[in-house]
This record gives sequence, C-alpha cells and structure tokens, in this order.
Amino acid sequence: MSGRITIVLIEGSFLIRSGIENLLKELQGLHLVEVYDGSEKHLIEKINASKPDCIILNPEMIKDSLNSFVLSLNIEATLIGLLSNDTPSQIKSRFKYCLNINDDKHELINNFKKIIGFGKPNKNRGSENQSLSKREIIILKHITSGLTNQVVAEKLFLSVHTVMTHRKNITKKLGIKTVSGLTVYALLNKIIEIQEIDQ
Amino acid sequence: MRIEKDMKLADVIHHDFSLIPVINRFGIQLGFGESTIEEICDKRSVNTEFFLTILNTYHDPQYFPKKHLRSFPASTLIEYLRKAHQYYLEQKIPEIKELISKLTKESDENKDTYRLALNFFEEYQDEFISHLDREENFVYPYVVELEKAIEIGKVTSGLLGQMESYSINDYEDEHDNVEEKLFDLKNLIIKYLPALENNSTSYKILLELFDLEKDLREHARIEDMILVPKVEAMEFTIKKMSR
Repeated sequence: MSGRITIVLIEGSFLIRSGIENLLKELQGLHLVEVYDGSEKHLIEKINASKPDCIILNPEMIKDSLNSFVLSLNIEATLIGLLSNDTPSQIKSRFKYCLNINDDKHELINNFKKIIGFGKPNKNRGSENQSLSKREIIILKHITSGLTNQVVAEKLFLSVHTVMTHRKNITKKLGIKTVSGLTVYALLNKIIEIQEIDQ
Repeated sequence: MRIEKDMKLADVIHHDFSLIPVINRFGIQLGFGESTIEEICDKRSVNTEFFLTILNTYHDPQYFPKKHLRSFPASTLIEYLRKAHQYYLEQKIPEIKELISKLTKESDENKDTYRLALNFFEEYQDEFISHLDREENFVYPYVVELEKAIEIGKVTSGLLGQMESYSINDYEDEHDNVEEKLFDLKNLIIKYLPALENNSTSYKILLELFDLEKDLREHARIEDMILVPKVEAMEFTIKKMSR
C-alpha cells in the first residue's frame, strides 16, 4: 500500500457518504481513513490527529464558520469542498478545489484525479513507487541501528525535520511503519547486520 | 443487513460467517438448528438487545447503536470485551505464532530470515499483551467502579482522583498504536520475505492476519462507539453527584 493518499470525509448524509466511499474505491491509492457526519465532539482534534492528505468537506456540516475551521487545522491537507449546484457562489469561491455532487460519475472521477494530481500531497507521487534513494538507505541504516531522529540529524548535518521527512518517505515507499518492521526490512536487504542492532 | 431478534441465527451466519467467533464469546456454539436469535438468547440468559448491538456493530461498519440500545449495563459490555481478549490471547495469537514457526521450519536456506519474522511477531505479541493487560487491569475496573458508584449513589475520593488523572477520552487514542505492527507484518510477508516453493503456509498466515485485523478493528469500534460514550455519560453523572 505504498504511495497511498489518505482522506477524511465530512458529510452528514448517509447516501452521499456511501456514494463518495464507492467513488474512492474506483481510484487506486486512495484510502478513506475516517468518515464523520460533522456532529462529532472534538472534530478538529480528531482530523488533526489522523493527519490526512485530503479533507473532503461538505461546508454545511460544520457548526463554526468555514474560516475558523480551516484555521484550526494544523495539518497540510488539501481541502476539497463537497458542493452541489445549489451551493451559493460565495461559499463555492472559498474552495480552491471542489467536487460537485450533481456531476456524473465520469466527471467526478476526472475531477478528483485532477485535484489529487495537482494537489500538494501528490508532489512526489512519481518517486513513491521507486526503490529507496541512497540518502534514504543511509537514514534507514541509522534508524534501524537504534539511533533517534535527533542523533541521526546531528550525524548527517541535517535538521530533525528533514530526517522526519525522509522517514515518512521511507514508510510510504516500503509500506512499513514501525521501527522494528523497518529493522526486519533492513536485515533482509543487508542494509544492516544483526550485530549492529545490539550496539 | 440489519440483524433482528426474530431472525434464525443460522441464516445470519450464512450471511456473515465472521460472526462465529463473536457468538462464541457469548457461549453460543454452532449447531443451533432452526432457533431464532431471541430463542437462543433466552435459553442462555444472554441479554438479547446487547447481543444484537454487538452483532450489528461487528457486521456493519455503518451501524451506529441508538441510545436506547445502549441501555445494558457497562459490566455486561466489559464481560464481552474480556471474552474477546481471551479469544485473541488463547486462540488467535498462538495459532498465528504456530504458523510462523512452521514457516521457519519449511524454509531450508532462509531459516534466519524467517526467524526474523518470528521475532517480529513475538515483539508484537508482547506489545499486544501489555495493551490488553492495561485495559483489563486499569480501564475496565475503572468503568465497573464508575457504574457501582452511580448504583449506590456514593462516590469515593479515590474514584474522583482516578477520574481526574485519567479520563476515558485518552483511551480512544491508544488504539492505533498496536495496529501498526500488524500492518507491517502483512507487508513483510507479502513484499519482502524471500519466496518459498510452496505458499500455502504464508497464505494461511495472511488469512489469519487479515482476519485478526478485522476483528481488532471491530473490537476497537465497539469500545469507541459503545464503551466510551457510556463512560463519558457516567463520568458526567458522577461529576454532578460529587458537586
């Protein structure tokens, strides 16, 4: 499941939610992680915690203003408005990207492909299917020998943030999330030797 | 499909056989003939409403139990959750471990490699056990205490202290962490372990892993959708009582 794009959906209507879920199944690499109807407690915190690449939002579902909703998101996610022909234009204009529920299937899919194709989370989509880069292999080697992000960063003269970005990309490419999982991978591929782990 | 009390349990199982381990947790075994859910529950003194809530939540990810369906005592729910834990610990995990050990034996040249997978699984097992232990020894007794306090109408200072230091809201967050290792193990087997001549053991392991993953997902959903709101309501009542 490498290179997948995670999506959170906020829509009150069961029928529309199911429709969107079906639509997303048609597009490879998309993964709907959470579905909300907008009435949930601590909705923003929940969205922030699941760190999606994309948020599909029916703006009518949120109690607060759209502005304060967007401002309280502390993640870099592509926001997609779930709108209809009847959505007032002042709301429509707030969204850079939108899906129109009145469109037919073909249009919806094309539209969606366009959005995720140009959207931020997809910037390095082309490279996701490739094997690890040299840099990533070095970082993997350090991490799996038990070093923390901080120490790896110091060793390689990188910022901790850069190390974390590399780690994220490694996980995306391999489909392995935990350090011990990565360790097994590194051993299998002779990136590290058993003795190095014990240090 | 919505599962109702007048349905034959046999028909329900035909429709969704992954419910078999779930009904086992209520002490119900296969061989129920033509009996309906209600008849079986009456015979075994199982709370029918509760049984239906669990089956439906487990069967349909879209299902959300209405408030009146959540009227059974928290202790009934806890009893079910403990049974589920028992199933994971005594059946599922040992079975998967056995299969992975078998894989280690089957691989002639790559024994060390497959032993890595076994080690990885054992690590997962340890983490999983300590997660369940925490629920059983800390979270569940806390819930039972809350319910007791409401029943007798008296709140001890110990319970209030516990409420302050740990609210059920924190508990929802703890679920995701255990899942990641299971996900990794699937990918290690599918993508990275060296190929064997015969895939049948690997296939069995994957079936088991996908199955366990689904079971755990529904288990967590039952906890998040039913237990957590119930406890939140009880915490609220107790706060009012102690004022």
